[in-house]
Amino acid sequence: MEEVNLVAESFKFMFLGMGVVFIFLLVLIEVMKLQAKIITKYFPDEEPVTPVTKSSKDEEQKRVAAIIGAVSEFRKNKQNKV
Amino acid sequence: MKLKQLLLSLLFIFTIAISSAHASSGHDAPVIEEGKQEYQSKTLSELASSFWATTGINAILDTDDGEMTSEPAGPSAERPMTWFESSLGRIIMIIIVFILFYLAIAKNFEPLLLIPIAFGGLLANIPLAHMGGEHGMLGVIYNMGIANEFFPLLIFMGVGAMTDFGPLLANPKTAILGGAAQFGIFGSLIGAVAIGFDLQDASAISIIGGADGPTSIFIANRLAPDMLGAIAVAAYSYMALVPVIQPPIMRALTTKEERRIKMGVLRKVNKLEKLVFPIVILMLSMLILPESTPLIGAFAFGNFAKESGVVDRLSDTMQNSLINIVTIFLGLGVGSKLAADKFLVVETMGIMIIGLLAFSAGTAVGVLMARLMNKFSDKDNQINPLIGAAGVSAVPMSARVVSKVGSEERPGNVLLMHAMGPNVAGVIGSAVAAGVLLSIFK
Repeated sequence: MEEVNLVAESFKFMFLGMGVVFIFLLVLIEVMKLQAKIITKYFPDEEPVTPVTKSSKDEEQKRVAAIIGAVSEFRKNKQNKV
Repeated sequence: MKLKQLLLSLLFIFTIAISSAHASSGHDAPVIEEGKQEYQSKTLSELASSFWATTGINAILDTDDGEMTSEPAGPSAERPMTWFESSLGRIIMIIIVFILFYLAIAKNFEPLLLIPIAFGGLLANIPLAHMGGEHGMLGVIYNMGIANEFFPLLIFMGVGAMTDFGPLLANPKTAILGGAAQFGIFGSLIGAVAIGFDLQDASAISIIGGADGPTSIFIANRLAPDMLGAIAVAAYSYMALVPVIQPPIMRALTTKEERRIKMGVLRKVNKLEKLVFPIVILMLSMLILPESTPLIGAFAFGNFAKESGVVDRLSDTMQNSLINIVTIFLGLGVGSKLAADKFLVVETMGIMIIGLLAFSAGTAVGVLMARLMNKFSDKDNQINPLIGAAGVSAVPMSARVVSKVGSEERPGNVLLMHAMGPNVAGVIGSAVAAGVLLSIFK
């Protein structure tokens, strides 16, 4: 008799427990969505300053020079192999 | 003259010795007195035999020596050991401890916890030393932070400082999976009651399904302190066994197609969102379930300190030195419950079985829930059901397992970040579930 009662009781625990966990998380999800909406609208992260704007002409030229050097080196190697 | 002085001083010492022997009649003095008094008349064989009585060999062989169990609560809680506990039981426990050492060192199963726990178990099974008693090393540690639930909270603080809520914030609906996996707790509660545990004990055992060590210890301590050792050991060993237990369940409950699903890239989460989130969780638990706020509060504090970005020293301490120190103490303290008289009881077997059941059920329901969610989601936002398995907390182990199984099905499919969402939601979910259980027995 008592055994049956206990099992029934534990089923009630399950409904209560799973119910509360789900309600908590569902509310949490809604809050997360709301918070994302508000924050991305009113307090967006400042965009990090992109390095492209920083690079001056000199750097650009250096980069091109490096690429040319690498390519010519690569070609030389290839010729050597053949 | 000198002789007279010597005689006088000798007499003086003698009188003091006699009078002190008569005067003192407490618990602490007699041991020294007996040694002093009997020293005169003892033969070598008597000496040897009285020494023999204090050896561990004798304590293990002589089962009728009336040795008491060691209880951190003090002498009032002690009881004489049975013959099994003081002899064979110790040996069995020491063998179990060696198995735990093996698992930790050779198999790398949660060594950070299993090593301190197992060593604590080794110390707790030493006869006559009473290390688990009120004034023993393990007993002191136990009273310092486990009997009052302090250490689990400190661990939770550190876990909070280590947690990144970014993946959850980027994809909030995965929090549902962290909730579904808590079915492991409540489903196994029914199982535990069905095999004869009472409701409080059953609740304490089933929280193993939350796959969260600190939470398990916290609840076990409140609801079933006698079973703390077995519950903690079960919780940590199953967490260590996540890579073994979860994959077969995950494969059995999903189709190959589903396991191959690729998930989109997560959006970048705003810094402010991350900063506000721990406060939001705390406010929610404050409103809905204050009973869970010790756990969630410590967790939120750690996370808030990390995300605030201005107290790096504090968050660094929480997630490194503090959590390391507490882990040592927590492990040794829990280990004290591995004493034969506490661990080798019939309930331990039940705890191990129910724990495994809880863990598997949590994984299964998480995966099934993810499958269901995938059915209802549109083509662009598909959900790989594997990530449901990460809903049992076990951070970050289960998320890694999900990622591994996923990349086995489709190389290059990295699910780790997607699995972290349900994973951290699982931590919150199990803390909430713990709060519900506590509120029932309030």
